[in-house]
Formats: sequence, structure tokens, C-alpha cells
Amino acid sequence: MVDIVNIRAHAKDLLEKGTVKMVLGYQRGTAGVLAEPAFITDAGQADHLVWDPTCVQNLALYLVNEKKAQSHQRDPDTRPIAIIAKGCDSRAVAVLLQERHFERKDVHVIGVSCGTLGVVDKNKLSKALNGRVATKVEPHGTDSFKVTTAEGFVDVAAADVLADRCLECACAYPAMHDVVFGEKHEDRGYPARFTALGQLEAKSEDERWAYWEGHFNRCLRCYACRSVCPMCYCPECVVDSIELMVDPTTSADEKANRIKWIERSAVASENSMYHLVRAIHLAGRCIDCAECERVCPVDIPIRMLNNKLEKEAKDMFGYEPGLDPELPSLVASFRDDDPNSFIR
Amino acid sequence: MTARRTGVFVCHCGTNIAATVDVKRVAVEMGQEEGVVFSKDYVYMCSDPGQSSVIKAIQDNQLDGVVISCCTPTLHEKTFRDVSTEAGLNPFRCEIANIREQCAWVHSNRDEATEKALKITTSAIRRVQNNEALTPIGVPVTRRAMVIGGGIAGIQASLDLANAGLDVVLVEKQPTLGGHMLQLSETFPTLDCSQCILSPKMVEVSKNKKIKLLTDAEVTEVSGFVGNFKVKVKQKAQYVDPELCKLCDDCTHVCPVVVPNEYDQGLTGRRAIFIPYAQAIPASFNLDEKSCLGLNPVVCGKCADVCEAQAINYDVKPKTYEEDVGAIVVATGFDLYGLENMGEYGMGKYEDVLDGLAFERLCSASGATGGHVLRPSDHKEPKEVVFIQCAGSRDPENHCAYCSKICCMYTAKHAMLYKHHVPDGQAYIFYIDIRSGGKGYEEFVQRGMEKDGTVYLRGRVSKVFEKDGKIKVMGVDTLAGRTIEIDADMVVLALAMQPSKGTADVAKTLKIGRDKDGFLAEAHPKLRPVESVTAGIFLAGAAQGPKDIPETVCQASAAAAKVIQLLSKEQLEHSPAVANVRLSHCTGCEMCVDACPYEAISLTGGGKAYVNEVLCEGCGTCQATCLRAAIDVKNITQLQIFDMINASIGG
Amino acid sequence: MASTPTQTPKDPSVFEPRIVAFLCKWCSSAGSDLAGVSRMQYPSNAVPITVMCSGSVSPVYILSAFNKGADGVLVSGCHPGDCHYLKGNYFARRKIFLVQKLLSFIGIEKDRFRMSWVSAAEGAKFAQVVEEFVRDIRTLGPQRKLKAKR
Repeated sequence: MVDIVNIRAHAKDLLEKGTVKMVLGYQRGTAGVLAEPAFITDAGQADHLVWDPTCVQNLALYLVNEKKAQSHQRDPDTRPIAIIAKGCDSRAVAVLLQERHFERKDVHVIGVSCGTLGVVDKNKLSKALNGRVATKVEPHGTDSFKVTTAEGFVDVAAADVLADRCLECACAYPAMHDVVFGEKHEDRGYPARFTALGQLEAKSEDERWAYWEGHFNRCLRCYACRSVCPMCYCPECVVDSIELMVDPTTSADEKANRIKWIERSAVASENSMYHLVRAIHLAGRCIDCAECERVCPVDIPIRMLNNKLEKEAKDMFGYEPGLDPELPSLVASFRDDDPNSFIR
Repeated sequence: MTARRTGVFVCHCGTNIAATVDVKRVAVEMGQEEGVVFSKDYVYMCSDPGQSSVIKAIQDNQLDGVVISCCTPTLHEKTFRDVSTEAGLNPFRCEIANIREQCAWVHSNRDEATEKALKITTSAIRRVQNNEALTPIGVPVTRRAMVIGGGIAGIQASLDLANAGLDVVLVEKQPTLGGHMLQLSETFPTLDCSQCILSPKMVEVSKNKKIKLLTDAEVTEVSGFVGNFKVKVKQKAQYVDPELCKLCDDCTHVCPVVVPNEYDQGLTGRRAIFIPYAQAIPASFNLDEKSCLGLNPVVCGKCADVCEAQAINYDVKPKTYEEDVGAIVVATGFDLYGLENMGEYGMGKYEDVLDGLAFERLCSASGATGGHVLRPSDHKEPKEVVFIQCAGSRDPENHCAYCSKICCMYTAKHAMLYKHHVPDGQAYIFYIDIRSGGKGYEEFVQRGMEKDGTVYLRGRVSKVFEKDGKIKVMGVDTLAGRTIEIDADMVVLALAMQPSKGTADVAKTLKIGRDKDGFLAEAHPKLRPVESVTAGIFLAGAAQGPKDIPETVCQASAAAAKVIQLLSKEQLEHSPAVANVRLSHCTGCEMCVDACPYEAISLTGGGKAYVNEVLCEGCGTCQATCLRAAIDVKNITQLQIFDMINASIGG
Repeated sequence: MASTPTQTPKDPSVFEPRIVAFLCKWCSSAGSDLAGVSRMQYPSNAVPITVMCSGSVSPVYILSAFNKGADGVLVSGCHPGDCHYLKGNYFARRKIFLVQKLLSFIGIEKDRFRMSWVSAAEGAKFAQVVEEFVRDIRTLGPQRKLKAKR
């Protein structure tokens, strides 16, 4: 069990000693039951930190944002940032390290183990509560949550309300950390990894296209998936053809000749392209925090696209993202015995 | 600047293109493409008037980009880039649209071929309009060459190079120079003794200060590029110091191990410590670690005990040399197609069925029988000998498809030598046809028939088997139309030549291509016969294809001449079409650094990718790996590909 | 060897696949040149784009070709171990495997995207690869799923 008191004490200590400039964590939200990101810079505020199954966000995103912000500061504070990271989040940090986004010394990982649980899916929770509004979710034993509502306490089976990714999670314990709270559980008793994906793969080609066409058709191209993704940190996305990044090195030709790989219009073909390019660019990098799917306003199962390539990479190339920051990335490496039989 | 004054030149290539592609229509339609201000067709663009017309058009119309729609760029890209330069246009503003090999020659429907030619040409126009004007990058040259293989080809190439003043590293896998030529007895068509003409050259190599000879050595790694290769050579442990060895032969007398002597094609035995030939260079005994009792003085150690010169040291380790060279000549030679593959001729089971090289050893004065032709099985003089040509060659279904080229001649020679050794014997040759092209070759074959009574039987041998101490040869004489049975005392197979066993590995290490038969591939079958497809690597001898000694020597000298030409320059020009980083987009993720096959990319202190242009070969692996479109190869940028895809689809 | 050119006008009702073929310069493009020199006949539907190395073919190129209306995309490079750039084709193999899996996963017919190894000596193989590809795509009909409706 993770005791928030210990996390707060650790955060306070870090801030008091000034070894980090900020602790990225969670605090009680103001809109609904989900916790919200907290940016604690003052030791006195460390008591605002919370840790419970509503801490869904992948805070690694804010490490990325902080680095971007730093690059514009004249005299940036280069002390490390502490981040509260679940298993998946710590893998995101590992991928960012692998991509040299920052160095290991720049980040202090406060790992938290999800134990046998994980984080809740807000929609599943509403459904399980039959319209009652949750105000607090706490772990209860190893397989259920104690949910506080206006009408009192309800005990909900974890399997009913856990986020899809948590149900299949293989990294509930943060492998990479400077300090860790909570213990490791080998067998969590949930479906194996890629179970949901397997069901989708089992459909026929036509069914799969009908499925995806239906979803892609609805895409608004709001790019929320991209904005929330810690790996989508490119200065300019290759699918963008509207925003023109201009700096002193941009040549006149570059300004004149923008490649429009994808049109901005939210039509099925362009939406498909957007999601395909995004999936390919996340191959070997996506650590399945599923934030993209969570923030999608039209419920596109984006996670499945990323899952597909994660599975192929694992099965065919023995590659798992976020395990070792020193390894070359999936597509920047190969093995002599990579599959070859698909080639004529 | 995007080129906006493009010229298009469509070549008829006589009727090669014009017969299937409506070249006039291509010229007219291309003239209407955006940015094209000049367009014409002409019967032979590469002819002198054709080239002149391109120059004139560039100058008259102030063209800032040209597309030549013609044959493959491997043929005339250079021609037309030179033409552009002459006209004052940067050569990198010229692109070739291949509408011959990739269009006119492979399609027969005129409309379809024309449609495709239009797409190919438009694609090239779109590309050239975004080509940058570039200047080649100058790279210093290492004025030193490596020759791989110490047979006659490698020896000749090394001597030519050294005599031209270049330092040479000659790498030979065996413990001695000489290759297969040193095994031969006499050579056609003049019947001079092979060792007599080869050993002076071998000595010349050993005496030449410019040549560093590494025997028992193999190339394990090659990096770098034309003008600046880095080669790792691994040399087996030299247990006998060639400097100290006095060739006294005491060691072989005490060595308890006997193994078949591969230099005698297994007809004799040798010790674990041995000298391949009396003429071996380096002139030294060798310890074969595979057959030696273990290099352990406790187990044996007899040879070291008797060696007065104290030349033997069991503790020597293999050595790795790192050589910087500007060019490499590959002369890895041939091996015979294995007897064991010849099911119809006994699969190597019969002692008296020999391959050609074994017969050479029988005829050779230094060979197994001291120069007497005797049957290996019972050491009797064979009175009837059957020679079978095309054994394993010209048989695409079962063996090698190609003609091994030298077998007709060496079989004629074998029959003749046999007759000289056994005057009362009879030689029969089964042949398909006789290929005796070459100076004095046909006369040589005739002499064998007329003076030495060689009987030529036109037909194939269906079966060879042992019976009552004889080798029964069942064949057919297609000229007489009858079957033939000969009770022979010995059968000699003229087995096909194939690339030596190490050739595949060498090709892989050097990244040079091989042809369908496994021989090293030349850059062009007619015009660049001694160059490999990789710049700075040249080919010589039978590794490139079956050939006889004079031809091998020719090619070796030609390869040497090419190397001399290459290394005569102060510096080489490196293609400027290299990767270029768009700093604004680079995040320093290092993926390109990991993916670059040449280690040409590194991260700068500022965390951005930096391309070492001299090392970059412009392959574009980085381009496809970068997720951020932050790295592009010049003149084949993503924007250009984007436009080319559009043009190729016809959109 | 070359047959006399035919002049049959195109039948608009027959589906003519539009194929983009990314060929590496050193092996597959040279192999296609050899097919030309040997006058091997194959369908004209595949328009070659010669790139330096199969390793330079970005997944975005492939997706973009479909988006622009290609009915099929071919990527062809040197055989494993034969890459002119030492290992570009190995990187290509990995990337292209992933693209193929992804396309198939969302329901794009597997046969629309193909990779082949064609060496400079394999003119006949190049002709065969194109011939088979065109034949397979003919049976699939036009690709509309990713094609932009412009």
C-alpha cells in the first residue's frame, strides 16, 4: 500500500533541501472526481499532494513542456524535477531519456506502484455507480475500490472500473525510479496483455475497415490525442501543414514549399492518414498510458492502434518500449533475424 | 531557389525508345508542364549534335534545370551532367528520366508505354525543380592499395602497383603465395612449366619493399569508402617464424601426424608441420594448428625440440592488422566444382576418377609421383585414359549453367601431357564441342589430335563405374551415332571452375555484388569489367568469372591500372548529395545517429544532429528514421519525393 | 526480341491499377534496368521512383502514396546482406513490416502493399514481382479507403 503521507514527506524534503525545483504530482481536482496535475514548488504545498486511483494523468508530458519552456528562458533553473510516476509513466520517462530529451540527472522519479490495482476509467465508474456521483475513490483490499458518493460508500469491483490499459497492465510497478512507494505484485489476476487487441485482430478485414472507418469518420482533428501525448513533442508535427515554424534557419524555399502530407480537413481519408502516421511514429515509443484515448472527445479507440504496433514489436523484434534508455529505438535498430518471409 | 526555367529533352534512342513511346507527344506534353520553358525530342540525345543542342538550349533559354528523358542514369547521367557544366549550369540541376530500360523496352503497348513515360518524365521534372546547385566535396586519398588473394592475379596486380610506386598490402589465405597456378604442371598452349614461370614472380613479390605480404590471413572487416578504406586483416598464428626458418626439413621428420596434402589434391600425405611447395613464399615451414597434436610441448613438442634455428614457438597468437588503403583489388580466385557433386561419375568414390588439378599433380615433377603418371589406386601406369569435358558445367538443370571456358584447352593439354608421359597409352576425350578461341589455341588442339593421337568423341558420358579394376565409361558418340564403352584405367573430369570458397564471405565483407553463379559482379559487363559496383574496389582473375592465365594476368594489370589512376589524384570528389539537418526541427533524439550505417551523424553540444559530410553516403536511412522531418538528403528531399509520388500517380 | 508495339486503344472500363514502386538505386532499380536490357515484358502500371536505398523510404511516403490514390505500393531493395549502404535494407525491413501490419490491421487489403528483394542480377525477378503485383491488385480493384477525395 502506498501511504500518501510518505510521498508528501519525501516531496517536502526534496523541496526544502532544494534538490529539485518542482515536484510534479497530483492534487484534488475541482471538476469531478479525477485528480489533477499539481506543480509543487513550495515545500509548504506538499501536503496538497494526493495519490489514489483517480490519478490517471501521465505527468511525463509536463517534463516535456517544462523543457520546452526552459529553452525560452534566459536564465533557466536547471535543477531536476521530481515526478510522481506510475509504472507506465516511468516507462514514458525512460523513453524520453532514450530520446535524449533530458538527462537522467534532470529528473527525480518518485515511483508509485499500482499494486494489484490501477487507475479508474471515469466512464466505467459512472456506469458502475448508476448515476450516482463519486467524490472519492480509494483502494479497498486487493481487488476493489471504496467509492464515496453523496449517498454514502459503495464497494466496486476493480475489474469493473479499472481503465482498459490497467486491466492488461504488465508494468504496474515502476521499474525506473529514484525512490519507490508500494510493492510489486507479480500476478495481478487480470486478462493478459493485448487481450482487447486480439479480439479486434480476430475480425475479418472488411469488419476491421468498417470498424476503423466508423471511428476515423468521427475524428474532429482536435489533436487532443497529440497534445496529451508525452511522446508527441516534435517542434512541428509532420501532419501539420498550417502552422509554419519559422526561425532564422528557415530558408525561403522551405517557406514556399510546405509538404502537405495530410490535408487539414477532417474527412475520413485525411483522418485515417493522421491516425496511421501518428501510430507509426509512436511505434516503439508508446508505453500505453492511453491518455490519447482518454482525452478523445469522440471516443476513438486510439489505444488499439498503438497497441497493435507495440504487440508486433514485442512479438517479432523482441522490443519493449521504456525498458532501457540506453538501447537504440525500435526503428533505429534491427536484428539480422528480423522477419523476412513477408518479403517477396 | 526553385527552378522555374526547366528544359526537357526527350531522346528517341533511334527506335529503341521511339518504337514504343510516342516521344513527340512526350516532348509536347512536357512542354506544357509548370515551369517548363523548353522541350524537344531528338533522335540520339547522347550524340555530339544531341549534346550540343542541349548546351545551346540551356544557354539560349537561360534554363535553370534540365531533364533528359532517355536511358538509365547509370549510362548517361554523367554525360549530361558534364554537358550541363559545359553550358554553365550546375550539374546537379540535371536529372535523368529513365524511359528506356524502365519503360520502352519492357512494354509493348504504345499508349500505355507513353503514359508511363509521361509520368516518369514529370516525376523527374518535379524533382529537378527543387534540386539544389551543389559542389562536390573534396576528400583526401590514402595512396596505398590492398590486394586480396595471392594467386597469379593478385601477384600480378601487386607487382604492377608496387612498380608504379604505390605501397601494397597483399593478403593471402593460404600459407604461401601462388594459388592454383602453382599446382599446375605445364601450361597451354606453349607447355611451359607453370612453377618455372610463376616462382620468379613470387620471389619478386617477397623481395619488393613496397609490398607487405600477409599470408595465412583473411580480411574480416572493411569500413570507409573509396580513397579511404579501413581494413581489418586477421592473420593466423605464425608458429614458425619465417625469418628464422632455415628450411632444413628436420621438423617434418619428427612430426608424428600425417594428413592428406591438400596442395597435392590429397594424392599424397603431409605432416602437421610442412611446407606446401619447395617454391613457397614466404619460404618457411608452417604448422597447421588443426592437425597438430595440440601445440602443447607436454603432448608432443617434437618439432620445436629438433629445430636448431629455434623458429618454432607454440605460444604465438593470431594477429590483427588494421590497414588504411585507398583502393582494394579482389583476386580470390576459383575452386573446382566438387567431385562429390558428380553422381553420374562416382561422386568422388573411385580413386582413379580424378579432377583436373589432381591430374596436374600427377604430371608435375614436384607432384605426388615425381612426374610419372600413375594410377592412385595401384600405382600402375594407366594405358587408357578417358577425359570428360563439361563435367558440371553447361548443365543448368543439375550443375552449373555456364561454360567454364578453360576446360577444352586444359583437357587437350592433359591428353597431350599424358601421351608424353605414357607414349604407348591412349587418350580419349568426350566433349560437347571444342572452344579453342585464343592465340595458338586451335593449333594446340589440332596438334593433340594429329601428333599425339588423342581421340575426340563427341557426346556425353552417361555413367562411370568401377569394375574388375577398370573404370567402365559408358558414353555415346553422337557423330558416329553409336554407344561407346571404354574400360579405362583412369578417368579425368574437367570440372567446372567456381568462385573460391571464401568469395561469398569476401563479397559480403566488402559489400560488393555477386552474379547468379556466385562470381564477383563487375560494374558493367562490357565497359567496366574490372570494377566492382562499389567505388574503389576492383576485380581480377577467376573470382570474376572463369578465365585462363593470360586473361587473368590481363585483368590483374587492368585492375592495377585502375587503382593507379584512382590513387594518382590528390583528392577525390565525394558526392555532395548528403544529409542535411533542419536544426529548427531536430530534437536531438539520436535516432538518426543510431540508424546511420556510416557513423556520419553525431550530436553537437547543443543537442542537435550534425552530419559529417565526408562520411555521409547519402543513403537516406536517417531521413526515413527521423520522426520530425528534421533531416533530408540533398536533392532527394521529402518534398521532392512528395512531388514525385504525385507525378507517378498522375495526380 | 522486342515485339512490335501494339496500338490498341485503352478500354476505359478495364481497371488499370496505379502503382508506385520505390526502387533502391543499387539493386532493384539496376535489376529493373536489367529487365529492360533483356527486353522482359511486364505491365506498365508500376511507375518507378528510384531512391538511394530502401532504408530511405519513410512510412509516410507509403501512406501518402495511398492517400494520393495509389492502388498499390511496392518497395524493393537489395537482399539482406547485399545493401550498398551496408544495412539500410535491414532498417527498411523493420519499418515496412510495421507499416504492413498497421495497414492490414485497419482493414486495408494486405496485397496492396508489398516489399521485395530484387538484386541487380534479378531482372527476371523484377518483371515477375511487378507482374504478380499488378495481377493481385487487379483482382482487388481500386483502392478507395485511404484515397483523398479531392
